[in-house]
Amino acid sequence: MFYIFCPYCKEHREEEEFHARGQAHLMRPADPDNTTDEEWGDYLFFRNNPRGIHHEMWVHSVGCRKFFNITRNTVTYEILETYPMGEQPTITADIPSVRHEQGVQAADGGWQTVGARPESKALNEETSS
Amino acid sequence: MSNLSVSNVREFNTQPEGNPLVESPLAWSYRHHPAPRGNGQHAGVVLREKALLGHLVLRGGAIALDEAVRQTLGISLPSKPNALAFDDNGERSIQWISPDEWLVIVPGGEEFALESALRKALGDAHASIVNASGGQTVLTLSGDNAREVLMKSTSYDVHPSAFPVGKGVTTVFAKATVILRRPSETHWELVVRRSFADYCYRWLLDASAEYGIDTQ
Amino acid sequence: MQRYSGFGLVKHAFGHHENWERQWRNPVPKKRYDVIIVGGGGHGLATAYYLAKEFGVKNVAVVEKGWLGGGNTARNTTIVRSNYLWDEAGRLYNHSLDLWKGLSQDLNYNVMFSQRGVLNLGHTLQDMRDIQRRVHANRLNGIDSEVVTPQQIKEIEPALDISSRARYPIMGASWQKSAGVARHDAVAWGFARGADALGVDLLQNTEVTGFKIRDGKVLGVHTNRGDIEAHTVGCVAAGNSGVLANMAGIKLPLESHPLQALVSEPLKPILNTVTMSNHVHGYISQSDKGDLVIGAGIDGYLGYGQRGSYPTIEHTLQAIVEMFPMFSRVRMNRQWGGIVDTCPDACPILSKTAIKGLYFNCGWGTGGFKATPGSGHVFAASLAKGEMHPIAAPFSIDRFHTGALIDEHGAAGVAH
Ligand SMILES: Cc1cc2nc3c(=O)[nH]c(=O)nc-3n(C[C@H](O)[C@H](O)[C@H](O)COP(=O)(O)OP(=O)(O)OC[C@H]3O[C@@H](n4cnc5c(N)ncnc54)[C@H](O)[C@@H]3O)c2cc1C
Ligand SMILES: [Zn+2]
Repeated sequence: MFYIFCPYCKEHREEEEFHARGQAHLMRPADPDNTTDEEWGDYLFFRNNPRGIHHEMWVHSVGCRKFFNITRNTVTYEILETYPMGEQPTITADIPSVRHEQGVQAADGGWQTVGARPESKALNEETSS
Repeated sequence: MSNLSVSNVREFNTQPEGNPLVESPLAWSYRHHPAPRGNGQHAGVVLREKALLGHLVLRGGAIALDEAVRQTLGISLPSKPNALAFDDNGERSIQWISPDEWLVIVPGGEEFALESALRKALGDAHASIVNASGGQTVLTLSGDNAREVLMKSTSYDVHPSAFPVGKGVTTVFAKATVILRRPSETHWELVVRRSFADYCYRWLLDASAEYGIDTQ
Repeated sequence: MQRYSGFGLVKHAFGHHENWERQWRNPVPKKRYDVIIVGGGGHGLATAYYLAKEFGVKNVAVVEKGWLGGGNTARNTTIVRSNYLWDEAGRLYNHSLDLWKGLSQDLNYNVMFSQRGVLNLGHTLQDMRDIQRRVHANRLNGIDSEVVTPQQIKEIEPALDISSRARYPIMGASWQKSAGVARHDAVAWGFARGADALGVDLLQNTEVTGFKIRDGKVLGVHTNRGDIEAHTVGCVAAGNSGVLANMAGIKLPLESHPLQALVSEPLKPILNTVTMSNHVHGYISQSDKGDLVIGAGIDGYLGYGQRGSYPTIEHTLQAIVEMFPMFSRVRMNRQWGGIVDTCPDACPILSKTAIKGLYFNCGWGTGGFKATPGSGHVFAASLAKGEMHPIAAPFSIDRFHTGALIDEHGAAGVAH
C-alpha cells in the first residue's frame, strides 16, 4: 500500500486517491512529420522498465487532479521522492549510494524477492548423474 | 480568440425567471429512501442537506483571484493547500481545491450576481469561472457519532489533530469522490456531485443506522 | 525415464511410495550447448522439450535462476482458451489449444486439462457488439465460439446473477466450450521431466547475469555458476525479460507490472465453468480441490515485487460479488502476485533480435499460460531452423516500428 506525498496538496494521501500514468519525462518528438518510423515507434511504445529506480508520472485523480512525478524503487516499492511537473529528480540510478542499495540489478545472483528461495536444500546439491 | 478574457465572455443566468419548481439532487432519494424512523432513542448522527446553494469554481492565478475575491466577497483567497475560509457570518466560503482552483459556495441565488462581479473585477486576467450550482449539493453531518461514520467511509484521517476546523479536502468517500470539510467544531460538510448524491446519501443512512440518525 | 501408469501406482504402494525415481536430474552445467534457454517457466521448458523431441536438438540447457516453474507459471489462474480476435492471435492460441488436448498423453504426465468452457460476459450494448464481432471472427478461424443469451448462461452457470437488478446486468456472453483450465505446476513438471529424459540439462539456481556478444553475434551467457557457451540463446523470462534485454543492450516495448490472484477456502462444487467479465473486471473458476480461483487486473505501476496492492484486491472481490452475490461471505485463503510482462498491443513477442542467435519469447503479460505448449512448439521450431515459424512470424519486435500491431486488448480485457 502506498502512502504518497502529493507535492501540490502538500500532504500524504492513500494510494486509492492516485493513478499511475507511466514513465515520466517523455518528450514528444518536436517534429512528428519528420521522424523516422524507428524514432516514432520508440516514442510510442518503448519504455524504461528497470528493476530498481524509476521515474514515473502519477495523477492525484481523487484530490487536486494534478499530475506529478515519483521516484520509486520498483523492487522494494519504496517511494524516494515526489516532485511537481517540470522539475527534475534529485535521486537517480546513477548516484553510487543508490546503485549500491539497488543490488538487485547487480550480477551477484541475488534473489528477486523474499520467499523466492528454494524450498529444499536438495535442489542445491550438484549431482552429475 | 486572444481578446476573449474572463470579463467579456457571455454570461448565462441559470436561475430561470418566475418561480418554477426546483429540486435538490436528493429529491428522488427523499421520496424513495426515507430515513430509518428513530425509536425515540438519542440520534448519534444528524444529517442535513444545504440544498440549492450557489457553487462557483474559480480557476486561475492566486494573485489575481485573491484581489477579485476580496473585492467582491470580502474574504481573502486561502492560499494554503486544503484550506477553507468563511466570511464573517459563515454563509459564504472559499476552499482551496488545487494550486489553481478554488470552490466558492454562497447562498442560493447570489451566484449569478457574484459571477458578474468577479468577472468585472478580474478584467483581463487569465482565469475562468464556472457555475457548478446544479452539479453538486452540500450535506452536513453532526452529532456525537458523526466522526465514526466518516471513519467508516473514508480513508482520510478525520482525527481532530489531522483535520482541524478550517480544513477541506477532496478525497475518496465510500469509493465515490467527495469534498470533505470542517466548517466548525461540531459540523462536517460533504460537497457531493449530483450523480453520486443518492448513493452517498443512502450510504450515510446505512452507515449511521447503528448510532441512530436524525434527518429532519 | 520412469513411465507413469495406474499399474505403477499400485506397485509403488507396496513399497510405501519410497522408491519413486527423481523426476529429473540436477546436472552440473556443461561448457557448451547447442541451445540455451533462459528461464525455466512453462514456456522455456516447453521450448526445450519440443527442441529435443521434434527438432532433434538435444544438447540444450534450460538456465533458471530459481526453481522450475516458480515464476508466473506457478502463479497464474490457469485459464486456457483461444477466442482471440485477430487471425494471427487466433492461429497461435488455437495451435496451443490443439496441443493441450493431447498433452497429458504426450508427456505421460497428467496436466489435468479440463475443458469446462469459458464464458466472457457482456454487460453493455457495446460489450455485446464486441462479443458478436469476436465470435464471428473466431468462427471464421475455426474456433468454437458462440454468443449465448442470459437464459443459456444461467443453464451453463446457475450461480451467476442474471437478474436485471444487478448493478451491471448480464446481457449475454461469448462461450467457448473447448476452453478450460489445467494444473499449472504439472505443466511445468511434465515438460521438465520430458525434456530431461531427452537429454536436456535443467540448471536450477543458475542466474543469467550477462551475455557474451561479439561482432553482433551471441556466443553464450554469463551466470553465477560460470560462463556457458551457445550460439543460439532463447530468452523466455516473462517479467524479467526487460532486465535481460538490458544486459544485451537491446530494448523491448515491455512494462513489468504486478498481477495478483487469490484463492478461497475449499468449497463443495459450485462452479461449472470459467466466468470472466471485462466490464466489472474480474474472473473466477473453481479448482478441483474446491477453492475459488480469482483474478483481475494488474496494478497500474511498474513492479518487480511479486505482490499486489490492497485496492486491487478490494476491486477484484467487488467484481466477483457483483457477478456472484452468494460468494460475499466466502473466506479467502491465500493471495500472491507475479510479474507480468505487458506489451502495448496485448500480444506476445516471439522474435529474433538485432543480435544474431539471440531470440526473445516474452510479452505474454497476463495471459500466456494458455499458450504454453503452442509457444514452446513454434519457438522451438524457430530456434532449430534459425527462421521464425510462420505462426510466430507476425509477433516480431519489428511490429512496433512498422505499425503492424495485433491489438488484442479487447479479447484480453481482464488479465488472464
Ligand atoms: C496472477 C496471474 C494470473 C494469470 N492468469 C492466467 C490465466 O488464467 N491464463 C493464462 O493464460 N495466463 C495467465 N497468466 C499469465 C501466465 O502465467 C504467463 O504468461 C505464463 O505463465 C508465462 O510463462 P513463462 O514460462 O514465459 O514465464 P515464467 O513462468 O515467469 O518463467 C520465467 C522464468 O524465468 C526465470 N528468470 C528470469 N530472469 C532470469 C535470469 N536472469 N536468469 C535465469 N532465469 C531467469 C524466472 O525465475 C522464471 O522462472 C497469469 C499470470 C499471473 C501472474
Ligand atoms: Zn494533490
